[in-house]
Amino acid sequence: MYYLIILLVYAAVDAIACLGLSQQFGVAGVTNFGFIIFQAAGAYVAAVLALPPDTADGGFQTYIGGLSLPFPLPWIGAAVAGGVLALPFTFLVGRRLRGDFAAVGLLVTAVLLNLLVMNYRPLFNGDAGLALVPTPLRQTMFVTTSNAYQYGYAAAGLVLAAAVYVFVRRITESPYGRTLRAMRDNDKVADSLGKNLVALRTGALVTGGAIAGLSGAVLVSFIGVWSPAEWSYAETIVLFTAVIIGGAGNHAGAVLGAVLVPVGFEEVTRFISNNNPNLPPNLLPSLQWVAIGLLITVFLWLRPQGLLPERRRMIRAPARSPAAQAPPEPPAEPAVESAPAPAARAPVPAPVTEPILRTSGVSKAFGGVHAVAGVTIAVGRGTLTGLIGPNGAGKSTLLSLLAGTAKASAGQVIYQGQDVTAVPAYRRARAGLVRTFQLASEFKRLTVLENLLSAVPSHRGDTFAGAVAGRRYWRGAEDLAIGRATELIERFGLARHANDYAGDLSGGQRRLVEIMRALMTEPSMLLLDEPMAGVHPELARRIGAALVGLCQDGMTILMVEHELSIMDEFCEPVIVMADGAVLAEGTMAELRDRTEVVEAYLVG
Amino acid sequence: MSLLLASVGFGLITAAVLAIAAVGFTLQFAVTDVLNLAFAAVMTAGAFTAYLVNQAGYSVWVGLAAAMVACAALSAGLNYLVYAPFQRRGSAPITLVIVSLGMALIVEFGIASVAGGIDVSYQMSQGRTVTIGGMLLSTVQLIIIAISVVVMAAVHALLRYTKLGKAMRATAANRMLARGCGIRASQVIALTWALTGALGGLAGTVFAIDVGSFNASSTDIFLILILAAVFLGGPGNAYGAMLGALVIGLATEVSAAYIEPDYKYVVAFVALLAMLAVRPTGLLGARA
Repeated sequence: MYYLIILLVYAAVDAIACLGLSQQFGVAGVTNFGFIIFQAAGAYVAAVLALPPDTADGGFQTYIGGLSLPFPLPWIGAAVAGGVLALPFTFLVGRRLRGDFAAVGLLVTAVLLNLLVMNYRPLFNGDAGLALVPTPLRQTMFVTTSNAYQYGYAAAGLVLAAAVYVFVRRITESPYGRTLRAMRDNDKVADSLGKNLVALRTGALVTGGAIAGLSGAVLVSFIGVWSPAEWSYAETIVLFTAVIIGGAGNHAGAVLGAVLVPVGFEEVTRFISNNNPNLPPNLLPSLQWVAIGLLITVFLWLRPQGLLPERRRMIRAPARSPAAQAPPEPPAEPAVESAPAPAARAPVPAPVTEPILRTSGVSKAFGGVHAVAGVTIAVGRGTLTGLIGPNGAGKSTLLSLLAGTAKASAGQVIYQGQDVTAVPAYRRARAGLVRTFQLASEFKRLTVLENLLSAVPSHRGDTFAGAVAGRRYWRGAEDLAIGRATELIERFGLARHANDYAGDLSGGQRRLVEIMRALMTEPSMLLLDEPMAGVHPELARRIGAALVGLCQDGMTILMVEHELSIMDEFCEPVIVMADGAVLAEGTMAELRDRTEVVEAYLVG
Repeated sequence: MSLLLASVGFGLITAAVLAIAAVGFTLQFAVTDVLNLAFAAVMTAGAFTAYLVNQAGYSVWVGLAAAMVACAALSAGLNYLVYAPFQRRGSAPITLVIVSLGMALIVEFGIASVAGGIDVSYQMSQGRTVTIGGMLLSTVQLIIIAISVVVMAAVHALLRYTKLGKAMRATAANRMLARGCGIRASQVIALTWALTGALGGLAGTVFAIDVGSFNASSTDIFLILILAAVFLGGPGNAYGAMLGALVIGLATEVSAAYIEPDYKYVVAFVALLAMLAVRPTGLLGARA
């Protein structure tokens, strides 16, 4: 009977830990190979907050603290410690570092902290660890039999696990959670949409760390000892296996994984060793690790989404937008019927005002190659400016410099009269300067509608606090955003696919998603990188007409495009680049008269 | 004999072993794009292969050759059966890192389940002890340093002067482009796995010779040193790995002479984290 209780407590501890890991790895895409140290730290803090000063009991063990705090303070302290411990690692998961490099950094940290603690006796009592950790409320509760108390403990653990489940779900299912998932799918794009990757990843590390710390507290208060050998980095792999098998990104899957892997494995091993007492002592634990290695690999191969895959979030448009419920889309005439024929387009007033964006001598060198060499351009307000040039002319690089997704090696970028050369991409995006990418950049495991919603600027629910505050707090803003997104999706003729995964769409449809998503940020200026590449000519013309319409409404667009007929039809003026420099600028008609342009590009 | 000189001697030997492993690891990463955390487990497989050969009555140097062959096969096999299929499917780099951890567990604990948890050592003589410039070194230790120097020279020659080496560099720089230029990238990658596996087997055996007695988990911490050396020099940069190995090897052993020996790894750890924070491309690396 007692064994069942132990099992339940372990299940609760592992479930809590797996939920924290699932939040980090499955939702936010932060691979924390050092996860176990957060659990260990939480357990240690819970222990020393509950323990009396270390001079008690004859001072047979040394530790920091010893505050004899009453329950629940040690557990709260554990969660705080787990969260605070995450802060020093923020730099590892920032904007610049590849995810697998960061994972290696965290792994190494876990191994070395374990090594340090095992060997440094004065600080953490070395590999002896801690013993006689008080059990919460043991003295104050009027529980006569040991069994009743144990049952109560197990029940409390399970309730706590349930509470953590509700908490992480609340975050994941909020607009903030959607942003985390967007970052997981493509961090560079999330950055360009105005998401602060450092803050988001720090949030994920801290939340997961706090949850891990809490799980450590539940464990240490139950078993009464804290032994550093129990927190080796390999334990992290067990938890990863659990989350991957259960289904990364699905919190119910994390709980299932916790029951199957850490708990299930202990059970199976115990069963085998009980029935085969003559096995070599080292054999079973070794084979257990081999099995973990096999499980992780086989699952990643056969069922990478896990037993309980992440659910697709179906969003129904708010009631007041009846059109959304009528899926059959008009096959033709989608984009903007109001867009006039380009010839009849009202002449754009000469930009007498300050241009919305200009550069002076902006440059970018990769090694010895000057991809962009001293480019000075000005983009007038309300224009649909084209940017053409042969392959390797530096068009995309220039776009990156303008958007801030690449750093200029020299020169200045002035946006709305302000020098933004040193401003990171997400802050330029928030200021209304938004780019799209040449390669497909949709958030694959978000639906079309979610892709659009993820771009909504300063959404109430798109902060950690907003997410915690709950649905009621952000529902209004969300409904408004859904209304806007639905409208856009209808305008671009994708209503039928609103709730499909963006990753499942055709190439042309994905370009549309990307443009719509950029529009959701309500930009003042759009930087489009070959939005019509690989798009059916008919659809391309529709997109072009839509863009002209947007410019008439006051937006400015700078568009890289290879298709000259598109340039002819929609763009004015057009800037020609070659070899990293601006070769010419003017209307297409003017450019055709200039021999150097024709030689560089317009041949044929 | 001064403490400093003695520790420099130890440092040179550690650096010699580390350099072989780090160059293997970094070449593997550069060409195959897999951050293979199972590298240390492959080293262990090499050390135990040499042990089996040694137990059968042959010299440990014969065992070393056998370890290189066995680990070349193991490494190429891991790629053929596991990593390549995942890469063909377009798995994210982080998925491959997790898979490589799985492989590390399978290899390391597969060995442990057969070998048991006990420490073993080779039957060999350490040879005469010689004093060079105040450092006291055994013949075997000198041989390890000599092997390392020869390997570094061979890697340099391979990358600089041979067709395979140039193809490896091209594949590392841009796999698609290399394919377009008529390089059979998959073949170059398979060869790289075998070659770096052989380096792993070599490193594992000289590591085992150097530490004296070892078990299936002995290379766990050594992996940290490899990672530190590789990231210090710039991941994917062979010369960076050599430099990193020298710095990490000397720094850990010299610091061990003055602080608690148990903390010598902290130096490697700080170096690694500092590099990740400040300059993820490493001392010699330009390519992220």
